[in-house]
Amino acid sequence: MKIGIVGAGQAACTLIAELIRGQFDGEIIVFNGESHSPYQRPPLSKSWLADPTETESLRLLPEPIERHHSIQWIQSQVKAIEPDHGVIVTNNVSYTVDHIVLATGTRAKKLSIDGLSSEKTHVIRTLDDVMSLTSALDGVANIAILGAGFLAFELASSLKHPTRTIRVLAKGIRALPQISVKAADRLLDATPASIRVGVTVERYDEDNAALITNHGPIPADLVIMAIGAEPNIELAHACGLAANEGIPTDAYMQTPHPRVSAIGEVSLHEQPHLNQRIRIESISEANDTASTLAKRLLGQPEPFHATPWFWSDQGDLKLQIAGLSARTDEETVLINSETECVVIRHQGDRVTAIEAVNAAKEFMAARRLFEQGTISLENLLNAGSVFSLLQSSRS
Amino acid sequence: MPQLTCIDPNDQAIDVTFEPGETVLQATYRAGVDGILAECGGGCSCATCHVILNADWDGTLDAPSVQEADMLSFAIDPTPHSRLACQVQLNDKHDGLTLTVAKRQY
Ligand SMILES: Cc1cc2nc3c(=O)[nH]c(=O)nc-3n(C[C@H](O)[C@H](O)[C@H](O)COP(=O)(O)OP(=O)(O)OC[C@H]3O[C@@H](n4cnc5c(N)ncnc54)[C@H](O)[C@@H]3O)c2cc1C
Ligand code: FES
Repeated sequence: MKIGIVGAGQAACTLIAELIRGQFDGEIIVFNGESHSPYQRPPLSKSWLADPTETESLRLLPEPIERHHSIQWIQSQVKAIEPDHGVIVTNNVSYTVDHIVLATGTRAKKLSIDGLSSEKTHVIRTLDDVMSLTSALDGVANIAILGAGFLAFELASSLKHPTRTIRVLAKGIRALPQISVKAADRLLDATPASIRVGVTVERYDEDNAALITNHGPIPADLVIMAIGAEPNIELAHACGLAANEGIPTDAYMQTPHPRVSAIGEVSLHEQPHLNQRIRIESISEANDTASTLAKRLLGQPEPFHATPWFWSDQGDLKLQIAGLSARTDEETVLINSETECVVIRHQGDRVTAIEAVNAAKEFMAARRLFEQGTISLENLLNAGSVFSLLQSSRS
Repeated sequence: MPQLTCIDPNDQAIDVTFEPGETVLQATYRAGVDGILAECGGGCSCATCHVILNADWDGTLDAPSVQEADMLSFAIDPTPHSRLACQVQLNDKHDGLTLTVAKRQY
């Protein structure tokens, strides 16, 4: 069996590693659309940006797996796929495989702003993006970050410098709307950035190096857009396998075409934790969808059943989230001490997520409890901590 | 280059060279030592990079941070010498030492 994987990011590499570890006895062709060997993205906005060293430390695959004899690496963008014939087309070559895996991820959204040159516009999705940002930082005194999600505040912490002023500009009414107000407050208290909410950008004034906004001019020697990502669905779309918001699959990562699967954050499938079909952008989603597909390709199919989890580092603070909540979910504070903060997100009595700031034990306990089933708000509040609830569930 | 000996979950001993300043995870991962999953890539958020250090390591490292200790308490069968490979930074003092990769990461 010959498998062609489009993309060489987190999901593709987890799939490759699990196939090799599982003694897969076919061939794997990987199409890497980037000019670097596979690397990890999370450090790009965290430790690596704060201290960019050699890129070796970002390595995503162990060397023996990357060099495994069953893998062929093609450094090229895929231009088209023909599922009926198992064909993958790059610029000048067609490859025939038995199964096509789309692991194309997402790309950073970019806003075009009148007067703002491309040299001053940055996004952070790829290693090349970060290299272009770090090489543009010399003499920069004012950085404006558009968007106020995790990425924006990770960037602010990592770019902190005595000679720089960093401003985070949110379009909406609050920063970090993905998490509870309480957990967000803890992180925002520590951010080196100043925050403006309700900002609409009108244009860029090159002469005064400022963004002209509904709040007046905001100094910006460079602008980083951290306004979210859009899925790379063009290949799937061209053969009728894409929906607007992703590539739909079943619980085994199979698209409606028997020769095509999709994994990682481009895939759109039922999330059992939420009873909802949505696309999730996180390492856990990339790894868990890849594992699900690996099992199927190794002949031991098991439906996707993982609970999502996520983390974000902002300087010394570590946010860890077990589960996933909708923005409208209620929030109830469970622990709020000088060092730790734990917030429960819930829909009535059903807990959807635990947000833990510098509270790793609570986060891990929540992951274990979600693996066992649902968590009841009442039981959790009675137990006093997620950890105690886990212990009582075990005794 | 300095090196470590790593005992993998199949009881194979593997020599792993390292650069001072690297973490145990970076060195062992690059070498492809079996049994280290490192789902979060060093983010101290998954506890799937659990290793057990030999007694010779005593006194060469600072104690684990609260965060690391909390994560470790959820590793499978942690011992007093357990550490998360991604949180242990190597220096010249570690040349020649031995560690064991946990049998199971979850
Ligand atoms: C700066 C940053 C920080 C992050 N921090 C965290 C974090 O702390 N925690 C967390 O859980 N998640 C984090 N994430 C998200 C996480 O990295 C992603 O969810 C994960 O990488 C998704 O994996 P993927 O394989 O689906 O996509 P990707 O890793 O994006 O890989 C997709 C690859 O496919 C390639 N590709 C696309 N189209 C083609 C084509 N036609 N031909 C060839 N190649 C193609 C792309 O170039 C890309 O290399 C972060 C992301 C970024 C950018
Ligand atoms: S790699 Fe995830 S905790 Fe060490």
